[in-house]
Amino acid sequence: QRETHLQYEQMGSDAILRCGSVDQDAAVTWAVNGTDIENPHLNGSFLVLHNVNLSHSGLYSCFQGSSSKLLHQTNLRVGNPPREPVLMCRSNNYPASFYCSWHLPFPTFIPNSFNISVMHDSKQLYCEKDPFPKNRCHIKYSRLFSTQKYQVTVVATNALGKNSTTISFDEFSIVKPDPPENVVAKLVHNNPRRLEVTWQIPSSWPDPDSFPLKFFLRYRPLILDQWQHVELSEGTSHTITDAYAGKEYIIQVAAKDYEIGTWSDWSVAAYATPWTEEPKYITTESQKTETTTRITTTTTTTYVALSSTKDCDPASVRGS
Amino acid sequence: LARTSIQKSYDLTKYLEHQLRSLAGPYLNYLGPPFNDPDFNPPRAGGPETIPSASVDFHLWRNLNDGLRLAENHRAYSLLLCYLRSIDEEVARTELRRSLGRFCTSLQGLVVSIAGVMSSLGYQPPQELVTSSPPTAMGFGRGNDFLRKMEDFWLLKELQIWLWRSAKDFNRLKRKVPSVVAFRVESRGL
Repeated sequence: QRETHLQYEQMGSDAILRCGSVDQDAAVTWAVNGTDIENPHLNGSFLVLHNVNLSHSGLYSCFQGSSSKLLHQTNLRVGNPPREPVLMCRSNNYPASFYCSWHLPFPTFIPNSFNISVMHDSKQLYCEKDPFPKNRCHIKYSRLFSTQKYQVTVVATNALGKNSTTISFDEFSIVKPDPPENVVAKLVHNNPRRLEVTWQIPSSWPDPDSFPLKFFLRYRPLILDQWQHVELSEGTSHTITDAYAGKEYIIQVAAKDYEIGTWSDWSVAAYATPWTEEPKYITTESQKTETTTRITTTTTTTYVALSSTKDCDPASVRGS
Repeated sequence: LARTSIQKSYDLTKYLEHQLRSLAGPYLNYLGPPFNDPDFNPPRAGGPETIPSASVDFHLWRNLNDGLRLAENHRAYSLLLCYLRSIDEEVARTELRRSLGRFCTSLQGLVVSIAGVMSSLGYQPPQELVTSSPPTAMGFGRGNDFLRKMEDFWLLKELQIWLWRSAKDFNRLKRKVPSVVAFRVESRGL
Protein backbone atom coordinates (compact mmCIF):
# COMPACT_ATOMS: atom_id res chain seq x y z
CA GLN A 1 0.00 0.00 0.00
CA ARG A 2 1.73 3.24 -1.21
CA GLU A 3 1.85 5.93 1.43
CA THR A 4 -0.13 9.06 0.48
CA HIS A 5 1.43 12.38 1.25
CA LEU A 6 -0.89 14.93 2.85
CA GLN A 7 -0.36 18.51 1.71
CA TYR A 8 -2.22 21.59 2.95
CA GLU A 9 -2.36 24.84 0.99
CA GLN A 10 -4.01 28.15 1.82
CA MET A 11 -6.83 29.35 -0.36
CA GLY A 12 -5.65 31.82 -3.01
CA SER A 13 -2.06 30.68 -2.90
CA ASP A 14 -0.09 28.77 -5.55
CA ALA A 15 0.47 25.09 -4.77
CA ILE A 16 3.43 23.07 -5.99
CA LEU A 17 3.03 19.32 -5.88
CA ARG A 18 6.15 17.18 -6.07
CA CYS A 19 6.15 13.70 -7.53
CA GLY A 20 7.70 12.19 -4.47
CA SER A 21 11.50 11.93 -4.72
CA VAL A 22 11.53 11.86 -8.51
CA ASP A 23 14.04 14.23 -10.12
CA GLN A 24 12.59 17.54 -11.07
CA ASP A 25 13.38 17.04 -14.74
CA ALA A 26 11.90 13.54 -14.94
CA ALA A 27 8.97 13.05 -17.35
CA VAL A 28 5.75 12.34 -15.50
CA THR A 29 2.01 12.61 -16.02
CA TRP A 30 -0.50 13.79 -13.39
CA ALA A 31 -4.07 12.81 -12.56
CA VAL A 32 -6.50 14.10 -9.93
CA ASN A 33 -9.08 11.81 -8.38
CA GLY A 34 -8.29 9.30 -11.12
CA THR A 35 -8.76 11.70 -14.02
CA ASP A 36 -5.86 12.84 -16.19
CA ILE A 37 -5.15 16.55 -15.90
CA GLU A 38 -5.55 18.24 -19.26
CA ASN A 39 -2.40 20.36 -20.14
CA PRO A 40 -1.25 20.72 -16.57
CA HIS A 41 1.10 23.54 -15.64
CA LEU A 42 4.28 21.58 -15.04
CA ASN A 43 7.63 22.77 -13.80
CA GLY A 44 9.58 19.69 -14.74
CA SER A 45 7.96 16.93 -12.74
CA PHE A 46 6.33 19.44 -10.33
CA LEU A 47 2.65 20.20 -10.78
CA VAL A 48 1.86 23.88 -10.25
CA LEU A 49 -1.67 24.97 -9.28
CA HIS A 50 -2.37 28.70 -9.25
CA ASN A 51 -4.69 30.56 -6.87
CA VAL A 52 -6.02 27.33 -5.37
CA ASN A 53 -9.53 27.04 -4.02
CA LEU A 54 -11.64 24.33 -2.44
CA SER A 55 -12.26 22.61 -5.77
CA HIS A 56 -8.53 21.92 -6.03
CA SER A 57 -8.69 19.64 -3.02
CA GLY A 58 -8.26 16.00 -4.05
CA LEU A 59 -5.99 13.01 -4.55
CA TYR A 60 -3.21 13.82 -7.00
CA SER A 61 -1.27 10.93 -8.58
CA CYS A 62 1.85 11.08 -10.75
CA PHE A 63 2.89 8.33 -13.13
CA GLN A 64 6.19 7.55 -14.82
CA GLY A 65 6.40 9.00 -18.33
CA SER A 66 3.20 8.15 -20.10
CA SER A 67 3.04 4.74 -18.50
CA SER A 68 0.61 3.74 -15.83
CA LYS A 69 3.30 3.13 -13.28
CA LEU A 70 2.21 5.05 -10.18
CA LEU A 71 5.13 6.91 -8.61
CA HIS A 72 3.54 9.03 -5.90
CA GLN A 73 0.23 10.28 -4.49
CA THR A 74 -0.56 13.54 -2.70
CA ASN A 75 -3.76 14.30 -0.90
CA LEU A 76 -4.14 18.06 -1.36
CA ARG A 77 -6.32 19.84 1.19
CA VAL A 78 -7.09 23.52 0.51
CA GLY A 79 -8.24 25.62 3.45
CA ASN A 80 -7.44 28.55 5.71
CA PRO A 81 -5.55 29.16 8.94
CA PRO A 82 -7.89 29.73 11.92
CA ARG A 83 -9.08 33.23 12.65
CA GLU A 84 -9.35 34.45 16.29
CA PRO A 85 -11.64 31.96 18.03
CA VAL A 86 -14.80 33.30 19.67
CA LEU A 87 -14.64 32.38 23.37
CA MET A 88 -17.45 32.64 25.93
CA CYS A 89 -17.67 31.51 29.55
CA ARG A 90 -20.80 31.25 31.63
CA SER A 91 -22.07 29.81 34.90
CA ASN A 92 -25.62 28.51 34.77
CA ASN A 93 -25.20 26.43 37.92
CA TYR A 94 -23.38 28.84 40.25
CA PRO A 95 -21.61 28.20 42.53
CA ALA A 96 -20.91 24.64 41.34
CA SER A 97 -19.03 25.35 38.13
CA PHE A 98 -18.78 27.38 34.95
CA TYR A 99 -18.23 26.32 31.39
CA CYS A 100 -16.38 27.85 28.49
CA SER A 101 -17.25 27.29 24.86
CA TRP A 102 -15.51 28.40 21.71
CA HIS A 103 -15.92 28.35 17.96
CA LEU A 104 -14.21 29.73 14.91
CA PRO A 105 -15.95 32.67 13.30
CA PHE A 106 -15.13 31.35 9.81
CA PRO A 107 -14.69 27.76 8.55
CA THR A 108 -11.16 26.65 7.76
CA PHE A 109 -12.18 23.60 5.70
CA ILE A 110 -9.36 21.60 7.28
CA PRO A 111 -9.12 19.92 10.68
CA ASN A 112 -8.47 22.19 13.66
CA SER A 113 -7.44 21.44 17.22
CA PHE A 114 -8.17 23.59 20.25
CA ASN A 115 -6.29 23.98 23.49
CA ILE A 116 -7.84 25.82 26.43
CA SER A 117 -6.17 27.01 29.62
CA VAL A 118 -7.83 28.56 32.66
CA MET A 119 -5.86 30.62 35.18
CA HIS A 120 -7.11 31.96 38.50
CA ASP A 121 -5.10 33.47 41.34
CA SER A 122 -1.87 32.37 39.61
CA LYS A 123 -3.07 28.77 39.49
CA GLN A 124 -4.02 26.75 36.43
CA LEU A 125 -7.43 25.12 36.72
CA TYR A 126 -8.48 21.91 35.04
CA CYS A 127 -11.07 22.30 32.31
CA GLU A 128 -12.94 19.04 31.85
CA LYS A 129 -13.91 18.65 28.20
CA ASP A 130 -17.51 17.74 27.48
CA PRO A 131 -18.01 14.71 25.24
CA PHE A 132 -20.64 16.80 23.51
CA PRO A 133 -20.59 19.47 22.35
CA LYS A 134 -16.88 19.02 21.74
CA ASN A 135 -15.99 22.68 21.86
CA ARG A 136 -16.93 23.06 25.49
CA CYS A 137 -15.38 22.31 28.87
CA HIS A 138 -16.31 22.72 32.52
CA ILE A 139 -14.36 24.20 35.42
CA LYS A 140 -15.33 23.66 39.04
CA TYR A 141 -15.34 26.65 41.34
CA SER A 142 -12.87 25.59 43.98
CA ARG A 143 -13.05 28.93 45.74
CA LEU A 144 -15.91 31.37 45.99
CA PHE A 145 -16.09 35.11 46.53
CA SER A 146 -12.74 35.79 44.97
CA THR A 147 -11.54 39.24 44.00
CA GLN A 148 -9.25 37.66 41.43
CA LYS A 149 -10.28 37.59 37.82
CA TYR A 150 -10.36 34.36 35.85
CA GLN A 151 -8.27 34.34 32.68
CA VAL A 152 -9.18 31.87 29.94
CA THR A 153 -7.19 31.37 26.74
CA VAL A 154 -8.14 29.18 23.79
CA VAL A 155 -5.64 28.44 21.03
CA ALA A 156 -6.89 27.17 17.67
CA THR A 157 -4.33 25.38 15.53
CA ASN A 158 -4.40 23.74 12.12
CA ALA A 159 -1.84 22.85 9.45
CA LEU A 160 -1.90 26.38 8.04
CA GLY A 161 -1.53 28.38 11.24
CA LYS A 162 -2.62 29.18 14.77
CA ASN A 163 -4.64 31.87 16.51
CA SER A 164 -5.79 32.50 20.07
CA THR A 165 -8.22 34.47 22.18
CA THR A 166 -7.96 35.40 25.86
CA ILE A 167 -10.76 36.73 28.04
CA SER A 168 -10.72 37.68 31.70
CA PHE A 169 -13.71 38.06 33.95
CA ASP A 170 -14.85 38.24 37.54
CA GLU A 171 -16.40 35.20 39.18
CA PHE A 172 -19.80 36.89 39.31
CA SER A 173 -20.09 38.55 35.94
CA ILE A 174 -20.56 35.26 34.08
CA VAL A 175 -23.39 33.99 36.28
CA LYS A 176 -26.43 33.57 34.07
CA PRO A 177 -29.08 31.02 35.09
CA ASP A 178 -30.99 28.90 32.60
CA PRO A 179 -34.55 30.07 31.91
CA PRO A 180 -37.30 29.05 34.36
CA GLU A 181 -39.00 25.76 33.50
CA ASN A 182 -42.57 24.48 33.18
CA VAL A 183 -44.17 27.89 32.75
CA VAL A 184 -47.95 27.37 32.95
CA ALA A 185 -50.69 29.97 32.58
CA LYS A 186 -54.30 29.31 33.54
CA LEU A 187 -57.51 31.28 33.44
CA VAL A 188 -59.26 32.22 36.68
CA HIS A 189 -62.94 31.21 36.68
CA ASN A 190 -65.44 34.00 36.88
CA ASN A 191 -62.68 36.54 36.36
CA PRO A 192 -62.29 37.79 32.79
CA ARG A 193 -59.20 39.90 33.55
CA ARG A 194 -57.02 37.44 35.43
CA LEU A 195 -54.46 34.82 34.48
CA GLU A 196 -52.53 32.70 36.95
CA VAL A 197 -48.92 31.99 35.95
CA THR A 198 -46.67 29.43 37.66
CA TRP A 199 -43.13 28.25 36.85
CA GLN A 200 -40.21 26.34 38.31
CA ILE A 201 -36.64 27.24 39.19
CA PRO A 202 -34.31 25.94 36.42
CA SER A 203 -33.28 22.44 37.39
CA SER A 204 -29.64 23.32 36.65
CA TRP A 205 -29.57 25.84 39.53
CA PRO A 206 -28.08 23.84 42.40
CA ASP A 207 -28.65 25.86 45.62
CA PRO A 208 -31.65 28.18 45.46
CA ASP A 209 -31.62 28.53 49.24
CA SER A 210 -28.25 30.25 49.41
CA PHE A 211 -28.43 31.67 45.93
CA PRO A 212 -32.09 32.61 45.53
CA LEU A 213 -33.37 33.68 42.15
CA LYS A 214 -35.60 36.57 41.35
CA PHE A 215 -37.84 36.55 38.28
CA PHE A 216 -39.00 38.83 35.50
CA LEU A 217 -42.31 38.14 33.86
CA ARG A 218 -43.45 39.61 30.54
CA TYR A 219 -46.87 39.17 28.94
CA ARG A 220 -48.93 40.62 26.14
CA PRO A 221 -52.03 39.76 24.13
CA LEU A 222 -51.05 38.11 20.86
CA ILE A 223 -52.78 40.90 18.98
CA LEU A 224 -50.41 43.53 20.41
CA ASP A 225 -46.64 43.96 20.19
CA GLN A 226 -46.10 45.88 23.41
CA TRP A 227 -45.00 43.70 26.35
CA GLN A 228 -45.95 44.37 29.94
CA HIS A 229 -43.35 43.52 32.55
CA VAL A 230 -43.32 42.73 36.25
CA GLU A 231 -40.31 41.88 38.47
CA LEU A 232 -40.88 39.39 41.27
CA SER A 233 -38.47 38.91 44.13
CA GLU A 234 -40.26 36.06 45.89
CA GLY A 235 -41.97 32.87 44.84
CA THR A 236 -42.63 31.16 41.53
CA SER A 237 -46.15 32.29 40.69
CA HIS A 238 -47.96 35.47 39.78
CA THR A 239 -51.49 36.52 38.98
CA ILE A 240 -51.97 38.88 36.06
CA THR A 241 -54.90 41.11 36.97
CA ASP A 242 -55.10 43.47 34.02
CA ALA A 243 -55.57 41.08 31.12
CA TYR A 244 -57.84 42.10 28.24
CA ALA A 245 -60.97 40.01 28.42
CA GLY A 246 -61.17 37.26 25.85
CA LYS A 247 -57.77 37.91 24.28
CA GLU A 248 -55.16 35.13 24.05
CA TYR A 249 -51.98 35.97 25.92
CA ILE A 250 -48.32 34.96 25.51
CA ILE A 251 -46.35 34.83 28.77
CA GLN A 252 -42.59 34.34 29.38
CA VAL A 253 -40.38 34.38 32.49
CA ALA A 254 -36.66 35.08 33.04
CA ALA A 255 -34.50 34.48 36.11
CA LYS A 256 -31.49 36.10 37.78
CA ASP A 257 -29.44 35.57 40.91
CA TYR A 258 -30.46 38.06 43.55
CA GLU A 259 -27.13 39.83 43.75
CA ILE A 260 -24.88 38.86 40.91
CA GLY A 261 -24.69 38.12 37.22
CA THR A 262 -27.21 38.69 34.43
CA TRP A 263 -30.72 37.70 33.50
CA SER A 264 -31.40 34.34 31.89
CA ASP A 265 -32.88 34.08 28.43
CA TRP A 266 -36.67 34.15 28.30
CA SER A 267 -38.41 30.90 29.07
CA VAL A 268 -40.44 28.88 26.63
CA ALA A 269 -43.69 30.80 26.11
CA ALA A 270 -46.96 29.84 27.77
CA TYR A 271 -50.34 30.78 26.22
CA ALA A 272 -53.70 31.34 27.87
CA THR A 273 -56.94 33.23 27.35
CA PRO A 274 -58.74 34.76 30.33
CA TRP A 275 -62.07 33.29 31.38
CA THR A 276 -65.08 34.52 29.36
CA GLU A 277 -68.72 34.10 30.30
CA GLU A 278 -70.52 31.23 28.50
CA PRO A 279 -73.07 32.68 26.06
CA LYS A 280 -76.68 32.19 27.49
CA TYR A 281 -79.49 30.48 25.31
CA ILE A 282 -82.46 33.02 24.91
CA THR A 283 -85.74 31.92 23.14
CA THR A 284 -88.09 34.93 22.56
CA GLU A 285 -92.01 34.66 22.18
CA SER A 286 -92.17 36.61 18.91
CA GLN A 287 -89.68 34.32 17.26
CA LYS A 288 -91.73 31.28 18.39
CA THR A 289 -94.97 32.46 16.64
CA GLU A 290 -93.03 33.45 13.51
CA THR A 291 -91.50 30.04 13.41
CA THR A 292 -94.81 28.11 13.59
CA THR A 293 -96.11 29.78 10.44
CA ARG A 294 -93.34 28.05 8.59
CA ILE A 295 -93.77 24.53 7.38
CA THR A 296 -90.92 23.29 9.59
CA THR A 297 -91.61 23.25 13.31
CA THR A 298 -88.06 23.81 14.56
CA THR A 299 -87.68 26.44 17.28
CA THR A 300 -85.40 29.33 16.31
CA THR A 301 -83.07 30.35 19.00
CA THR A 302 -81.32 33.66 19.28
CA TYR A 303 -78.05 33.90 21.03
CA VAL A 304 -78.04 36.97 23.14
CA ALA A 305 -74.95 37.52 25.22
CA LEU A 306 -76.26 38.98 28.38
CA SER A 307 -73.89 41.41 30.01
CA SER A 308 -73.05 39.77 33.25
CA THR A 309 -73.38 42.87 35.30
CA LYS A 310 -77.13 43.58 34.64
CA ASP A 311 -79.87 41.44 36.13
CA CYS A 312 -81.84 39.65 33.46
CA ASP A 313 -85.04 41.86 32.93
CA PRO A 314 -87.58 39.96 30.74
CA ALA A 315 -88.95 43.26 29.33
CA SER A 316 -85.53 44.32 28.08
CA VAL A 317 -85.01 40.92 26.50
CA ARG A 318 -88.33 40.97 24.56
CA GLY A 319 -87.54 44.36 23.25
CA SER A 320 -90.03 47.31 23.12
CA LEU B 1 -36.74 37.89 66.18
CA ALA B 2 -33.78 36.05 64.64
CA ARG B 3 -35.37 36.02 61.23
CA THR B 4 -36.16 39.73 61.41
CA SER B 5 -32.63 40.66 62.42
CA ILE B 6 -31.23 38.46 59.64
CA GLN B 7 -33.50 40.19 57.13
CA LYS B 8 -32.39 43.55 58.49
CA SER B 9 -28.73 42.60 58.10
CA TYR B 10 -29.47 41.38 54.58
CA ASP B 11 -31.16 44.64 53.70
CA LEU B 12 -28.18 46.53 55.14
CA THR B 13 -25.80 44.65 52.85
CA LYS B 14 -27.95 45.64 49.87
CA TYR B 15 -27.97 49.26 51.01
CA LEU B 16 -24.20 49.21 51.55
CA GLU B 17 -23.71 47.70 48.13
CA HIS B 18 -25.72 50.54 46.65
CA GLN B 19 -23.61 53.10 48.57
CA LEU B 20 -20.38 51.38 47.58
CA ARG B 21 -21.32 51.44 43.93
CA SER B 22 -21.51 55.23 43.98
CA LEU B 23 -18.43 55.55 46.18
CA ALA B 24 -16.02 53.17 44.42
CA GLY B 25 -15.76 54.97 41.08
CA PRO B 26 -14.90 58.42 42.48
CA TYR B 27 -12.51 56.87 45.00
CA LEU B 28 -10.62 54.84 42.37
CA ASN B 29 -10.38 57.99 40.24
CA TYR B 30 -9.02 59.75 43.30
CA LEU B 31 -6.35 57.03 43.54
CA GLY B 32 -5.63 57.58 39.85
CA PRO B 33 -3.98 55.22 37.34
CA PRO B 34 -3.52 52.28 37.23
CA PHE B 35 -6.08 51.79 40.02
CA ASN B 36 -8.98 53.29 38.07
CA ASP B 37 -8.25 51.18 34.98
CA PRO B 38 -11.03 48.52 34.68
CA ASP B 39 -8.49 45.98 33.41
CA PHE B 40 -6.13 46.53 36.33
CA ASN B 41 -5.90 43.03 37.76
CA PRO B 42 -2.96 42.70 40.18
CA PRO B 43 -2.36 39.33 41.87
CA ARG B 44 -4.11 39.22 45.25
CA ALA B 45 -1.30 37.14 46.66
CA GLY B 46 0.96 40.19 46.73
CA GLY B 47 -1.81 42.26 48.28
CA PRO B 48 -2.10 43.30 51.93
CA GLU B 49 -2.75 40.42 54.32
CA THR B 50 -4.38 42.86 56.68
CA ILE B 51 -7.44 43.28 54.49
CA PRO B 52 -9.63 40.22 55.04
CA SER B 53 -10.23 38.25 51.86
CA ALA B 54 -13.75 37.04 51.21
CA SER B 55 -12.40 34.22 49.07
CA VAL B 56 -13.17 30.85 50.65
CA ASP B 57 -13.13 27.20 49.71
CA PHE B 58 -16.53 26.32 48.28
CA HIS B 59 -17.20 23.24 50.43
CA LEU B 60 -15.77 24.90 53.51
CA TRP B 61 -18.10 27.87 53.05
CA ARG B 62 -21.11 25.65 52.45
CA ASN B 63 -20.49 23.64 55.57
CA LEU B 64 -19.74 26.54 57.91
CA ASN B 65 -21.98 26.45 60.97
CA ASP B 66 -24.10 29.51 61.56
CA GLY B 67 -22.00 30.84 64.42
CA LEU B 68 -18.77 30.65 62.46
CA ARG B 69 -20.45 32.03 59.37
CA LEU B 70 -21.59 35.10 61.25
CA ALA B 71 -18.34 35.48 63.19
CA GLU B 72 -16.36 35.60 59.95
CA ASN B 73 -18.63 38.34 58.66
CA HIS B 74 -18.36 40.27 61.92
CA ARG B 75 -14.59 40.05 62.02
CA ALA B 76 -14.18 41.05 58.36
CA TYR B 77 -16.40 44.12 58.58
CA SER B 78 -14.83 45.21 61.85
CA LEU B 79 -11.39 45.16 60.21
CA LEU B 80 -12.64 46.80 57.03
CA LEU B 81 -14.35 49.50 59.09
CA CYS B 82 -11.18 50.20 60.98
CA TYR B 83 -9.29 50.58 57.72
CA LEU B 84 -11.98 52.75 56.18
CA ARG B 85 -11.79 55.12 59.12
CA SER B 86 -8.08 55.47 58.56
CA ILE B 87 -8.69 56.44 54.95
CA ASP B 88 -11.48 58.79 55.94
CA GLU B 89 -9.02 61.02 57.76
CA GLU B 90 -6.49 61.18 54.94
CA VAL B 91 -8.73 61.90 51.97
CA ALA B 92 -8.30 65.48 50.89
CA ARG B 93 -11.43 65.78 48.81
CA THR B 94 -14.32 66.88 51.01
CA GLU B 95 -17.13 65.26 49.01
CA LEU B 96 -15.30 61.96 48.96
CA ARG B 97 -14.60 62.22 52.67
CA ARG B 98 -18.29 62.86 53.30
CA SER B 99 -19.28 59.78 51.27
CA LEU B 100 -16.71 57.70 53.10
CA GLY B 101 -18.04 58.97 56.42
CA ARG B 102 -21.62 57.99 55.49
CA PHE B 103 -20.40 54.60 54.35
CA CYS B 104 -18.53 54.04 57.62
CA THR B 105 -21.70 54.83 59.56
CA SER B 106 -23.70 52.30 57.55
CA LEU B 107 -20.95 49.71 57.89
CA GLN B 108 -20.88 50.24 61.65
CA GLY B 109 -24.62 49.56 61.55
CA LEU B 110 -24.00 46.26 59.78
CA VAL B 111 -21.38 45.20 62.34
CA VAL B 112 -23.82 45.89 65.14
CA SER B 113 -26.62 44.14 63.23
CA ILE B 114 -24.52 41.01 62.75
CA ALA B 115 -23.73 40.96 66.45
CA GLY B 116 -27.49 41.20 67.04
CA VAL B 117 -28.15 38.22 64.78
CA MET B 118 -25.56 36.21 66.65
CA SER B 119 -27.15 37.02 69.97
CA SER B 120 -30.64 36.18 68.68
CA LEU B 121 -29.33 32.80 67.52
CA GLY B 122 -27.71 32.15 70.87
CA TYR B 123 -24.11 32.79 69.86
CA GLN B 124 -21.67 34.97 71.74
CA PRO B 125 -20.81 37.96 69.50
CA PRO B 126 -17.03 38.49 69.09
CA GLN B 127 -15.30 41.20 71.05
CA GLU B 128 -15.92 44.61 69.39
CA LEU B 129 -12.66 45.54 67.63
CA VAL B 130 -11.19 48.62 69.27
CA THR B 131 -11.36 50.70 66.10
CA SER B 132 -9.83 53.73 67.70
CA SER B 133 -6.37 52.12 67.70
CA PRO B 134 -4.12 53.61 65.01
CA PRO B 135 -4.38 51.75 61.69
CA THR B 136 -0.65 51.18 61.57
CA ALA B 137 -1.03 49.15 64.75
CA MET B 138 -3.46 47.02 62.79
CA GLY B 139 -0.92 46.66 60.01
CA PHE B 140 -2.56 49.14 57.64
CA GLY B 141 -1.07 52.17 55.96
CA ARG B 142 2.56 51.11 56.04
CA GLY B 143 4.87 51.43 53.07
CA ASN B 144 5.04 54.03 50.35
CA ASP B 145 2.27 55.90 48.65
CA PHE B 146 1.79 53.24 45.95
CA LEU B 147 1.48 50.46 48.52
CA ARG B 148 -1.06 52.46 50.52
CA LYS B 149 -3.08 53.04 47.34
CA MET B 150 -2.83 49.33 46.61
CA GLU B 151 -4.31 48.69 50.06
CA ASP B 152 -7.17 51.07 49.29
CA PHE B 153 -7.72 49.32 45.95
CA TRP B 154 -7.99 45.92 47.61
CA LEU B 155 -10.17 47.35 50.35
CA LEU B 156 -12.78 48.48 47.84
CA LYS B 157 -12.61 45.20 45.92
CA GLU B 158 -12.91 43.03 49.01
CA LEU B 159 -15.71 45.17 50.42
CA GLN B 160 -17.79 44.56 47.31
CA ILE B 161 -17.19 40.84 47.42
CA TRP B 162 -17.81 40.60 51.18
CA LEU B 163 -21.17 42.29 50.69
CA TRP B 164 -22.10 39.67 48.09
CA ARG B 165 -20.84 36.91 50.31
CA SER B 166 -22.78 38.23 53.29
CA ALA B 167 -25.95 38.40 51.22
CA LYS B 168 -25.52 34.73 50.40
CA ASP B 169 -24.72 33.96 54.04
CA PHE B 170 -27.90 35.67 55.19
CA ASN B 171 -29.93 33.91 52.49
CA ARG B 172 -28.68 30.63 53.89
CA LEU B 173 -29.42 31.63 57.46
CA LYS B 174 -32.90 32.89 56.58
CA ARG B 175 -33.83 29.52 55.15
CA LYS B 176 -32.46 27.64 58.17
CA VAL B 177 -33.49 29.90 61.00
CA PRO B 178 -36.94 28.44 61.90
CA SER B 179 -35.44 25.05 62.58
CA VAL B 180 -32.34 26.45 64.28
CA VAL B 181 -34.22 28.57 66.81
CA ALA B 182 -36.56 25.71 67.67
CA PHE B 183 -33.59 23.37 68.13
CA ARG B 184 -31.81 25.85 70.39
CA VAL B 185 -34.94 26.27 72.52
CA GLU B 186 -35.42 22.51 72.86
CA SER B 187 -31.81 21.86 73.69
CA ARG B 188 -32.11 24.26 76.64
CA GLY B 189 -35.16 22.35 77.79
CA LEU B 190 -37.34 25.50 77.77
